Amino acid sequence: MGVILKVEGLKKSYGAVEAVKGISFSVDEGEIFALIGPNGAGKTTTLRIVATLLTATAGTVTLMGHDLRKSPDKFRENISYLPEEAGAYRNLKGRDYLKFMANFYAEKPDEAAGFVKRAEDIAGLGERLGSKVGTYSKGMVRKLLLGRALMTRPSLAILDEPTSGLDVINSLEVREIIKRFAKEGISVLLSSHNMLEIEFLSDRVALIDKGRILDSGTAQGLKDKYQAPNLENVFRSALR
Amino acid sequence: MKKFRNLFFKEVKELLSKQLIVSLLLMMGMFYFIGQMTRKEAARAAAAQKISVFDLDKSALSAQLLTGLQTMNFKIEAVTAATAQAAVEAGRAGDTNLLVVIPEGFGESVRRMEPKVVETYSYLRNFSIIGARTSAIVKGFLEAINKVLSDDFLKARVPETTPEAIKSPIKSRDFIIIKSRMAEGSASAVTGFVTSQTVFIPVILMMIILYSSQMVISAIAMEKQNKTLETLLTVPIPRTSIVAAKMLASGFVGLLSAVIYMVGFRSYMSGFTGDMAQMPGVSQVVQKLGLTLNANALVILGASLFFAILCALAMATILGVLAEDFRSAQSLVMPMLILIMIPYFVSMFADVKTMSLPVKLFILAIPFSHPFLAMQNIYLENYRAVAFGVLYMAAFFGVMVYVAGRIFSTDKVLTMKLRWGKKKIVL
Ligand SMILES: Nc1ncnc2c1ncn2[C@@H]1O[C@H](COP(=O)(O)OP(=O)(O)OP(=O)(O)O)[C@@H](O)[C@H]1O
Ligand SMILES: [Mg+2]
Repeated sequence: MGVILKVEGLKKSYGAVEAVKGISFSVDEGEIFALIGPNGAGKTTTLRIVATLLTATAGTVTLMGHDLRKSPDKFRENISYLPEEAGAYRNLKGRDYLKFMANFYAEKPDEAAGFVKRAEDIAGLGERLGSKVGTYSKGMVRKLLLGRALMTRPSLAILDEPTSGLDVINSLEVREIIKRFAKEGISVLLSSHNMLEIEFLSDRVALIDKGRILDSGTAQGLKDKYQAPNLENVFRSALR
Repeated sequence: MKKFRNLFFKEVKELLSKQLIVSLLLMMGMFYFIGQMTRKEAARAAAAQKISVFDLDKSALSAQLLTGLQTMNFKIEAVTAATAQAAVEAGRAGDTNLLVVIPEGFGESVRRMEPKVVETYSYLRNFSIIGARTSAIVKGFLEAINKVLSDDFLKARVPETTPEAIKSPIKSRDFIIIKSRMAEGSASAVTGFVTSQTVFIPVILMMIILYSSQMVISAIAMEKQNKTLETLLTVPIPRTSIVAAKMLASGFVGLLSAVIYMVGFRSYMSGFTGDMAQMPGVSQVVQKLGLTLNANALVILGASLFFAILCALAMATILGVLAEDFRSAQSLVMPMLILIMIPYFVSMFADVKTMSLPVKLFILAIPFSHPFLAMQNIYLENYRAVAFGVLYMAAFFGVMVYVAGRIFSTDKVLTMKLRWGKKKIVL
């Protein structure tokens, strides 16, 4: 399996604050790769850089051979990004929002219709797709956006805390969906601070704290290495 | 192109919210209502005024006087009463606002050139404009009496010439000159006419610029408040298209709002200015002086307006990036408002040409000054100044679009913020 995303020596400063201090990792095709770490570790910053929203202070990012600095357009065509705190246009109906977003990726109307159909299945909102986004609950918006992010079958899905704001049942369902898409060959780069979720979901994880990667590997490999029963204890040991 | 259209229609849909449509319709309805009322009022004022007359004299002169008044568009209602006192009392319950009492022996004493007192009673039934009109009637009435009497007197005593020639021995012919053109007419009438014809242009301009600026700022602020901007910026469409779609959609909705506003405003104003255009003679003088806008002038004026709107949209786009949510967007319209108000008032009350150089440069540096000044400059044949204005605005627009494009294609669109004097605390 080939490498789809390669991040090397990534740094990012906001003025005087250095949020990311030299991060390197890679994501393979069809792999779910997770960044886990406490609040303010630099997870969102890293994901936003890969999603072409922020420009890195230093380092390189390569997606399928394209350099981020030279061709951000190639990135945008091949990724989809689910921000940590995102919304949808409140005046649009759920279904119209999906159509609006699908039109940016589809070449033909029936292709767009296919995207919308897939998103509807993921979101599972039923007839509520016909009402305005402004009337949705937080979890409903989250599922709508997840459907939006996966409907185009991007080469790389960047999901920042995909289950945030979801109840236990919905979180479980979302995890299943992500796993299913990865099996179909979509690579996923996600972030979370829920260690249990990561253990279930990801193929490989990187432990990140204060802008640096402490360690990385498969969940099982890390547990063996630190002789810990779960990832939480792994993290505690790695911090020392 | 298809993707751009997708974006454009979404922007328009977002901006044309129910609240906007309802408030525009309400405003239009209000203007229409007030306009109807003022028009009715104006029609009533133009109609024949009714006055009551209690004639105790019943001489040939008093009869002649009443006929004279009738020709001056007064409707006479004769009062029959025992005494003047009773006539005044009866008037209280009536509906005329003016009672005139012509005393006994009036005709006789006027013939002897001994002034005789005519009493007028104004019934102030309310203090609105209608009530105030009574005093104008009284004045017009007395003037009419004096004119009829003095003309008759002069005709009888000095039959060899007209009363007119005696009363105003000096006559004048008035000419107006604008650059190479000249016409006979009254300068104040022409200025008044031109003002009434062009008073809308600055107002329209101000409305369009303000509305579109507000729209574009809100469009960006809404993306930030609803947290949709990040997603939009990762979509495979050039950032310039995102900016352009927002600007175009805002310009479109802003223009639409302004047009609706103006239609309402026009119907409101026509209540006041309707009779101005009918002023005979003035419009011919205006034509001769070239104070009408021909096709060329309209094209130049249109170009000036167009570039002013573009400048406003581009500036507002940059301001919009500074907005964090809908509320801060409202305050960000302020700088635009100031930049529009300055040239608006300057063009109404001052002459830029006579200002000191620094002030003049300051005014001319504001892009919106140029369309405000364009009108006057076209009338005064200063086409160079108008052309300079258009070029300046085009350059200004170019710079603004470049800056906006830079902001949108870097982090700044997400990280730029106005911190109102507060320094962010970094731990
Ligand atoms: N726009 C910004 N301006 C200044 N500093 C910022 C900005 N965004 C993030 N930071 C700082 O960068 C650091 C990393 O933030 P980041 O959002 O990447 O953390 P995170 O790992 O996603 O945390 P969380 O789990 O809370 O989402 C933090 O110290 C944060 O304060
Ligand atoms: Mg985060």
